[in-house]
Parts: sequence; C-alpha cells; structure tokens
Amino acid sequence: MPGTPVDNAALFAVLSSLADNKQFIGRRYAYWCNGAPALEAAVAAAAMTQDELGHARTLYPLLEDFSQARADPSQVEPVTRTLHYHLAFLDHDFRGWSDFVATNFLLDNALTTFFEAAQDSSYEPLRQRARKIVQEERIHAMHAEGWVRRLAKAGGAVRSTLVASLNRLWDETLCWFGPDDDANMQRLYREGIIDAMPSELRSRYLQKIMPTLSSLEIDVPVTFDLVTKHWEPGQPLPWNEWDAIARRVKQGS
Amino acid sequence: MKAMTSTMHTTSKRREALNETRVWHVYARRKYEEPLHEIGNVMADDVELAKVYARSIYDEFSWVEMVIVPRDCIITVIES
Repeated sequence: MPGTPVDNAALFAVLSSLADNKQFIGRRYAYWCNGAPALEAAVAAAAMTQDELGHARTLYPLLEDFSQARADPSQVEPVTRTLHYHLAFLDHDFRGWSDFVATNFLLDNALTTFFEAAQDSSYEPLRQRARKIVQEERIHAMHAEGWVRRLAKAGGAVRSTLVASLNRLWDETLCWFGPDDDANMQRLYREGIIDAMPSELRSRYLQKIMPTLSSLEIDVPVTFDLVTKHWEPGQPLPWNEWDAIARRVKQGS
Repeated sequence: MKAMTSTMHTTSKRREALNETRVWHVYARRKYEEPLHEIGNVMADDVELAKVYARSIYDEFSWVEMVIVPRDCIITVIES
C-alpha cells in the first residue's frame, strides 16, 4: 500500500459497488459459456465473462489505496470480501438465457454509463480504467442489442420471458445511480470524479437503451417528454427498499 | 449415432427458432502487406451479432483487419 492513502469514503463505496457488480456479472455469465442457445453465442459469452472479470480485477486493487480499506483489509480482495455491493438480482444463478441478455442490456449498460461519465475524471486511476472499459463495452452493447432484438422478435414465450427478465431487473438498475440527493454521487460530482449527478446519469442511460426497447414495443415504466425529447422514469423508483450503502435492493424486499 | 442425430436435430430446431440461419464468411489479415484470407464462418441473422461472434471466435491473433461477408451475397463466376 505505497504512497499517501486516498481518504474518500464516497469514492471507496462506489468503486466497491462497481467492482462487486462486475465480479458477479462475470460469475453469472460464466455459467452460460457452454449453455447459450448457439455455439457462437457461447463463445461470445466466454469472451464477455473474461472481460467482466477483467474489469473487476482492475477495480478491486484501487480499493487498497484508500484509508477506508485500513479498517478491514480483507474487504479489498474478491476472494476474502464478505460485503456484497452488487445488485440483488445477481445473488442467484440466472433463470435462463434471457437473464443473461437482460443483465448485459440493462445492468452492464448502466455501469458503462457511469464509466462514460468518468472518462475525464479528476481521479486518474478511474479515468484510465473508465476509458478502457468503455471501449471494451462497445462489443457487449452490440451483443446485448442484437439479442434483445432477436428474443423480442421471436415472439410468444421467448419474448415474454425476455420481458419478464427485463422487468425483474428494471427498478434495481435505475436505482443503482442513486436518488438525486445521493451523498456519495453528489460528492463524486462536486470533486470532478464524474461529470453528472444521478438524475442526469439516469437520463443518459434511458436515452441509450430506450430507442431499442421502444422500437420493439417492449413496455417499461417510462415516459417520453415531447418537449425535451427525453425519456424519463414513468413512476417513482422504490427508494424505500433501497440500501444506499450497498447500492442494491434490501434483502427480503 | 441415433443420439448424435437427435442432438443435431435439437440444435437445428433451436437455431430455426431463433432464426440463426444466415452464414457469414470471416476474412482477416495479420499484416497490412498480406491479403485478406478466409479464416472461418459464423451463423447469425443480425449483422451486429455476426460481428461480435466473429471477433470473439476468431481471436487467436491480433488481426489488423477483419471483415465479414454474407454467404448469400457471393456470386459464383465459375463452377465446375
């Protein structure tokens, strides 16, 4: 742990959540390396698994540089870490391929939206990693859109299973950016670590994913503001179920 | 042999259900002074997915260029 430790609880918390989500996405993807609907998709799943675990592996070591890690050094290693700051959706194995597609399309896209906002970060280690991750995630986004289109257009039970997966992940993913008064995100914005507040990040995210969902006529709780030409959440998010520290829906919610 | 035929039939059915019937030839080269050469193929109806599959399956070298060509766009000039 060389150098002066960084003392920033807000950044430590958000980096922990990013690392845990990447780690658990990778673990869930791994199960599908030989279970995807086609050989090509299985190979792509294997490559994406490696990418996600690789992203986690570049993020966890950053935690070592923080004074917040001194209290319990075991929490900066994925093997010894007992805190779980990934979404509750990732607690269990995927129910099917549609959960893989939904995770890639919704959650991974949300995390990428955060990394895009950190590409000019005042915290250099995050800035470097964010640019690399954003570059690699372009391929994941192509995979996600392609599979959402394919499953949606298949119709029948295939489409309804996809819609169910998207719905189960929807609220928690939108919540991940935090409420507008999220103290951690506010501090990151004030200190130039990211370039937008939670509501703006959520808005950028919706502008990214909604054209695909809208073109496929997949119903999700959003509204399109004709004046601003922006998609906005169509109903209040479940903040009463939100664990602000772990950045996930509370257990048992 | 019967089991293998059954597995192939199931795979074929699954491909049909997801409309993965379009074949894309994958060409790549490792150096600019080399010509593109065929390194394999992928099946995908969606061009973006075909690109993802080609990149992830044929990642054994650091290619300087990779292209995909839909098989149904190839026009035969000589056929013996």
